[in-house]
Amino acid sequence: MSRPEAGGPEKHESCMASITLSKLNKHYGALHHAVKDVDLTIADREFVALVGPSGCGKSTTLRMIAGLEDISGGEIRIGERVVNHLPPRDRDVAMVFQNYALYQHMSVYDNLAFGLRNKKISEAEIKAAIDRAAEILGLHDLMKRRPRQLSGGQQQRVALGRCIVRNPVAFLFDEPLSNLDAKLRAQMRIEIKRLHAQVPTTSVFVTHDQVEAMTLGDRVVVMRDGRVQQAGTPLVVYNNPVNRFVAGFIGAPAMNFLDVTIRREGVVLVAQSAAVKLAITEPSGEALAAWIDRPVVMGVRPEHLVLGGDGVLSRSFQANVEVVEQLGSEILLETRVGQARVTVARVAPETQLAAGDQVRLSVQPGRLHFFDPNSEAAITA
Amino acid sequence: MSSKTTGRPLFGEQQRFMLLLIAPAAVLLTLFQVVPIAIGANASFRDWALYNPKKTWVGLAHYQAVLSDPEFLWVVLPNTFIFMIVSVAGALVLGLALALLLNRPFAGQKLVQTVLLVPLMVAPVIAAIMMRWMFNDQFGIVNAVLEGLGLDGQPWLVERWTAFGVILMTDIWLWTPWYTLLLLAGLQSLPREPFEAAAIDGTSTWRVFTHLTLPMLRSVIVVCVVIRAIDAFRTFDIVWTLTGGGPGRSTELFSLYAYVLAFLSLDFGRGSAAAIIGGIIILVVGAVLYRVVDRLART
Repeated sequence: MSRPEAGGPEKHESCMASITLSKLNKHYGALHHAVKDVDLTIADREFVALVGPSGCGKSTTLRMIAGLEDISGGEIRIGERVVNHLPPRDRDVAMVFQNYALYQHMSVYDNLAFGLRNKKISEAEIKAAIDRAAEILGLHDLMKRRPRQLSGGQQQRVALGRCIVRNPVAFLFDEPLSNLDAKLRAQMRIEIKRLHAQVPTTSVFVTHDQVEAMTLGDRVVVMRDGRVQQAGTPLVVYNNPVNRFVAGFIGAPAMNFLDVTIRREGVVLVAQSAAVKLAITEPSGEALAAWIDRPVVMGVRPEHLVLGGDGVLSRSFQANVEVVEQLGSEILLETRVGQARVTVARVAPETQLAAGDQVRLSVQPGRLHFFDPNSEAAITA
Repeated sequence: MSSKTTGRPLFGEQQRFMLLLIAPAAVLLTLFQVVPIAIGANASFRDWALYNPKKTWVGLAHYQAVLSDPEFLWVVLPNTFIFMIVSVAGALVLGLALALLLNRPFAGQKLVQTVLLVPLMVAPVIAAIMMRWMFNDQFGIVNAVLEGLGLDGQPWLVERWTAFGVILMTDIWLWTPWYTLLLLAGLQSLPREPFEAAAIDGTSTWRVFTHLTLPMLRSVIVVCVVIRAIDAFRTFDIVWTLTGGGPGRSTELFSLYAYVLAFLSLDFGRGSAAAIIGGIIILVVGAVLYRVVDRLART
């Protein structure tokens, strides 16, 4: 397969297709404040994933960028232009919808051509653009079919094709993989990633699935209740979550949280509860000096707990196995530590364990997180 | 108990119960539909009139008479089909336009929607009487307004085509809300996303209408058209009330033709023959329309 030239019939010379949201707000009536003061800059050709639970305002934000929703306050810029009051058609963006939004009564070819025919482009040019998109997405054999004759994955590829033929300044994805089954979702994820490499275009990808967000995004933006919680590269968001919500939302299985009190024992700080007593060696330990004899929330990811740990007693604790989940590649352990439930991942699959067993768990160095129990903000140095 | 000795009864317990439940409807249907049709069909082959108590069998004579009646062939049939086509098309276009206007939120939408539905609640006879007075050439408000504007009043119901126009207008006025109601329901059930995709793709309003709205609404439109076309074929009340088929017999529709023969001329035989011819025509028209529906809905 020859590598097609990026871009379509009319390549944008400016290439300044950054998207800037400043103090973006959306109210529905007086009661529902869906998007609150969102500030976000998406660089040219950057792939940003907006992720959060349903109702967090991520889709609304995307629809405001597209022009499908009015803006209650703030400003949206695409490139240098303020687009607040521009209708969708003048924003030069393309959108992929969760349920594909294909024109059911048209053939695949006509679906792809529809947007170009709006612009009164010659049929020869349209055909060239469609051929190029079909090449990238492998749609050549489907051209004469109707959307309902296609599988979900094929339909979504057509929807992607409809976007690339137009050569817009930005792609907007609104949960495009949610209607696909797990296997297809993984395939399409890779396909979108490949597409972005071939046709590097500013992209905003909305999803509630943190795996999609982490794997696709150059940057991940975590939202909750209409506010941006954290924006950063996948690794930053994973390693340094700014608050308990982000820590719990990113990563699967989710991070374990334990209520502990910070105490000083000689020169070291320890996190202590009825069932746990751990020496704090993390860099954030300095900041915890202010929390001595006060309760905090301690977080540790399931994959950062290791079975055993007699050697480092100060970094381990006793747990009671409740559920053993054998995945073949690993075992997931559901354990109880005092009042808290603690999940352990990546236990070797050969390990002989049964419910009721007592095990010792130790924490990998540098992997403890601490959060303010009231504000839920991360306690960092 | 007896079934053990005499073998199985004709119907099981459950079937007998079901037959019992169907019986009242079946009896009513037979009495008021099947029997009258049979009597009518029988009458159409006989010289069945008050002056001939013997009801002489005349074979297809009535059918020949109706089918060779120039009035029937050149006035009544064309009138009926013109009425059917113009009424259905007119009300469809207006109803669709109103449905499209109502399908976007605006202040007072519920009120406007309710007001638009008023004609549906008016009995056709009442509407026709109202129209007859409005278009009365001496006392009607239409002529009064025209004369007030310095124009000449028209003898609306005395000329064939103006009278026919008033009939059509009345029927369209009566039926537009029905289309609006169904098409609005259809519009509101359409998925939102293809329209959003089209908006983002920079599609003009007219192109959205012709390339998305109409094709997606096609099945609803086709069903509306079939139902109303068959219904329009047998329209009687508004024509009878507005013009009585006049002036002369120039606005007579098919149903009036049969009615006049059977109940004014009291020639039941000829009237029945006309009715059965009409029944056959509508059967054919209905079947053709139904096939068209089926094909359109499938693609």
